[in-house]
Amino acid sequence: MAPQLDPVDKRQAAREVIDILQEISDLLNTNLDRTELSLCVSLIENGVNPDALATVIKDLRKEAVNSKRVSNAPPATTE
Amino acid sequence: MSTSTRPTTRPRRIDDALSQLVESLLPEIPLSALPQDHDFSDDDLALAAAEEHRHHAQLERAWRTLEAHPSSGADPTSPAGRRGSSAGEDINHAPDLIKRKLRRENASPEKIVRFSNLYTRLLTQPVLSQKWGILYLLYKLSETDEEQQPVERSRSPLMDEGNLQNMLGRGAGRPRRGAVVESEDDEGPAVSSSASQPPRVSRESRAQRPSSLHRDWEESTERASASRASHYETGDERDGMASPTETPASHARSTESVENGLLRDLPFNLQGLSSTNLQFQSTSVLKLPSNLPAPIVSLLNALAEPCLLYKELAGFVESAEGGLVNQSLRAAVANELRSYLGLVATLEAEIRQALAAIGNASTMQGVRKGGVTLKRCMVWTRDATMALRLMSLIVEEARDKKGGQLISLIHGFSSSHGDPFVCAFAEKLLAHVTRPFYDMLRLWIYDGELSDPYKEFFVAESDLRTTADPRRTATSVWEDKYKLDDDMVPSIITQDFAKKVFLIGKSLNFIRYGCGDSGWVEAYSKEASKELRYGDTATLETSIDEAYKTTMARLIHLMDDKFKLFDHLRALKKYLLLGQGDFIALLMESLASNLDRPANSQYRHTLTAQLEHAIRASNAQYDSPDVLRRLDARMLELSHGEIGWDCFTLEYKIDAPVDVVITPWGSTQYLKVFNFLWRVKRVEFALNSTWRRCMTGARGVLGSVDDKVGPDWKRARCVIAEMIHFVCQLQYYILFEVIESSWDQLQAEVSKPGCTLDDLIEAHTKYLNSITHKGLLGSATASRYGVSTSASAKQPEESFLSQLHHILKIMLSYKDAVDGLYSFSVAEFTRRQELSAKIETRTAQGRWGVTDRDMLPRRANSRGGASMASTPDIRPASAGPDGIDTPFSLSAQDLAADDNMLASLRVRLRDLSADFKSRLTTLLSDLSYQPDVDMRFLAVVMNFNDVYKPRRRAKPTSGARDRDRERERAKRKAAASAAAANAGTGSGTESSREMRRERSAGAGPEPGNGNGAAT
Repeated sequence: MAPQLDPVDKRQAAREVIDILQEISDLLNTNLDRTELSLCVSLIENGVNPDALATVIKDLRKEAVNSKRVSNAPPATTE
Repeated sequence: MSTSTRPTTRPRRIDDALSQLVESLLPEIPLSALPQDHDFSDDDLALAAAEEHRHHAQLERAWRTLEAHPSSGADPTSPAGRRGSSAGEDINHAPDLIKRKLRRENASPEKIVRFSNLYTRLLTQPVLSQKWGILYLLYKLSETDEEQQPVERSRSPLMDEGNLQNMLGRGAGRPRRGAVVESEDDEGPAVSSSASQPPRVSRESRAQRPSSLHRDWEESTERASASRASHYETGDERDGMASPTETPASHARSTESVENGLLRDLPFNLQGLSSTNLQFQSTSVLKLPSNLPAPIVSLLNALAEPCLLYKELAGFVESAEGGLVNQSLRAAVANELRSYLGLVATLEAEIRQALAAIGNASTMQGVRKGGVTLKRCMVWTRDATMALRLMSLIVEEARDKKGGQLISLIHGFSSSHGDPFVCAFAEKLLAHVTRPFYDMLRLWIYDGELSDPYKEFFVAESDLRTTADPRRTATSVWEDKYKLDDDMVPSIITQDFAKKVFLIGKSLNFIRYGCGDSGWVEAYSKEASKELRYGDTATLETSIDEAYKTTMARLIHLMDDKFKLFDHLRALKKYLLLGQGDFIALLMESLASNLDRPANSQYRHTLTAQLEHAIRASNAQYDSPDVLRRLDARMLELSHGEIGWDCFTLEYKIDAPVDVVITPWGSTQYLKVFNFLWRVKRVEFALNSTWRRCMTGARGVLGSVDDKVGPDWKRARCVIAEMIHFVCQLQYYILFEVIESSWDQLQAEVSKPGCTLDDLIEAHTKYLNSITHKGLLGSATASRYGVSTSASAKQPEESFLSQLHHILKIMLSYKDAVDGLYSFSVAEFTRRQELSAKIETRTAQGRWGVTDRDMLPRRANSRGGASMASTPDIRPASAGPDGIDTPFSLSAQDLAADDNMLASLRVRLRDLSADFKSRLTTLLSDLSYQPDVDMRFLAVVMNFNDVYKPRRRAKPTSGARDRDRERERAKRKAAASAAAANAGTGSGTESSREMRRERSAGAGPEPGNGNGAAT
């Protein structure tokens, strides 16, 4: 890290990094949007194990799918 | 990092971020998703509550996962557990994984390129400290859903870091096939640190194995004895298999269990150990159970190969014989085997895990779930098998090879094999195998030491001291101590290069031992020595070139400065090749009287004294004392009745390091040249002294007897002038055209930049050869021009040397004859003097000056001349003054003898001159057909005005005989003409004989000349 960077530069650099990561993320089809990506970045920068984070995200996604399935199935019967 | 810095309490920032993440990831709960039976009135509230609830639950779960992960190392299947300790490796690993994945999923490289660009850009950004983490996260997230069930995640043991890198030694570019492709998805960081774990597992399992193994083994032996045993050699009898007797359907379950058993045993088999089902009959036979279905048998056949190969290679590694290169090959193979064992260990862990899974759900599904089947194992071991196969091939071929040949063998695989896998593998082996070779090379080119206990280097200490080459009879440190063994030059270096290396080491060795300058060598090796290894050919080449230059320069410098090689060469030319004219002239003059005596009356001390005198009195005294010290005069051994001239020789002593250039052979060549030149010089000296006497005599003594021997003298002077011309031309030719020009060439060769000691030796040899050859000394066959002169060499003609020797001999005897003529003339002169004195005294006494009695002898002569000729000059001393009458009769006899002697002298002179002329003509005609320009030039110089008529060679084969015949004819003709001339002069003397009445009483100075002429 370069501590002597002033805040403006830092933000600029951070944006750039996120841009790059966003591109890589698109390349890899991770389905992460920009917010999620920055959240992940900050998590990892704070020392979270990326492997674990990946598991968490996957779990959450699964959960989301499940809940969607749960929520999708009943409307078919209700409508 | 994550383990160490993980806070015990949940830090706020992480909590916030995580909660946001959960929020953004989870979709809004739609209204319809709410449990319908509850039917809340306030949907929003319900939604919020549900979301809140879910959010908390998910957040809690996420936290659990996060916290569980870093500490989950106990679980071997958990990918994260393995990577806590090896995060450092992952920094580069994550992008690699991504690249690999992209390559796998996309045919075109375009995406990879894009990724690489992005990655490099990312690397330059200073903001992030955990770049790899992000990338890894992205990578993880990009995975497809199929491996969400952890049990099914079948990771390929091949992909384990060590094995992948070590065992296969190939880049990521190698396409994967079949089942391995999908299983590769979660290779990577998850397994990156697994190296330490599987062995432990396998140890455990091995510990619990024996009891069951024993039981199984007993069963299987019974079964094996009952059924027909079938043997399978690796790779050979692939098609032999047990035919399945049962239907597949009923057999499925038993096959299942059999396969499981086989799987369980497989790791042991792969380590070359016998197991229940598969037993090693010998090192090369693995027995398969006979009651298996064909597919399994064929699988086992394939799997048997690495087992057997491993066993064989392990045996090779255990063995201990062979040289250093062999040992390093063994070490390299052992290294490869170790990584193979690592693979086996991982495999075993997989198998155990799979079998445990089967234990849980003992259905067909279990196997599927376990994900490890024989087929898979086969695929996993496939590359390892190839490596093993290649190693076994190398080991097989290396059996009776050593050193350089072995390296060449492996290099052959790496450089000319079509399969990139084989190339890469051989290349890797080569790096290990060549290590001892490069050590030897380094020691050789920097220290000049040969440390080669197993004779593996391409330089060998030559032990045969008796060389076949006669030119190098003595042992020469330079030539014979080491030799280059072309067979042992490994193909990683070229022949040219090998020669250079050989020369460098040899020079260093020579500097150290021959020149006694080991201090320099040590300093040099300390300063220049550097590590040499396989691969960086360019560095190797430059360092060797450098070493070559340094060493050669040093050697030449030593030769020049310390050992004064060039001074010695110059001195040899000066003294042995008669370059120092005043010295030689002085030496010859002072030695002439001495050397006329027989060889056995020559004494060394007189010779050395004369030599010393010649040195002191000539310019040689200014030469360095070191050079003069080496100069020595001695007599040659071959002294059988010869006079001193024939066996006198000068010698120049050469000692240790310089004799590498001026070899003993060279010294003999010098001596040969010196002897020849000395002889020519001697003839010149003799002829000159005769000429001088003639010239001085012509004014006094000879002038007064002109009437009697005048024509003889004229003729003799002509012939002597001819001879002197010949000798002068010969000397001029040898000294200036041959020696000086060769010397010039030698100088040019030697002063060339980058001249090596070998070049020096070569140049010197060439110099000597050209001198001996052009100086008419070389026998045609031994000369280096042998090819071109072989046609003339085949003829039975005399060599130039013997022709010249004949001519010189003729000259010497001619000189003797002329001396005889001179003394005859002197005798004649004194007799006349006495006669006139007698006449005067008689006249003074008043008698007749000439009486009748003076005329008497003529009649007496005509009566018994022949018988009296044999005793020409035995004159009793008492017959002098007392009797006046008696002398007349005696002098009459003498007079007759004199006449006889004169005649025979004339004949002799004529014969000799004719012989000289014919031989010279022969020589000239031979010379003019020489291929060498210089030698033809000699012929032209000698015959510049076409005095001699060299015959053209009619036919090369009959030429010699013709020449002989012609020479005979010429001789006869010359003799005839000489006889005619003799008769003519004889009549002349007849008329002048009246003048002679008396004969002097003074003793004739010529003791045996007349006698010799008469016989």
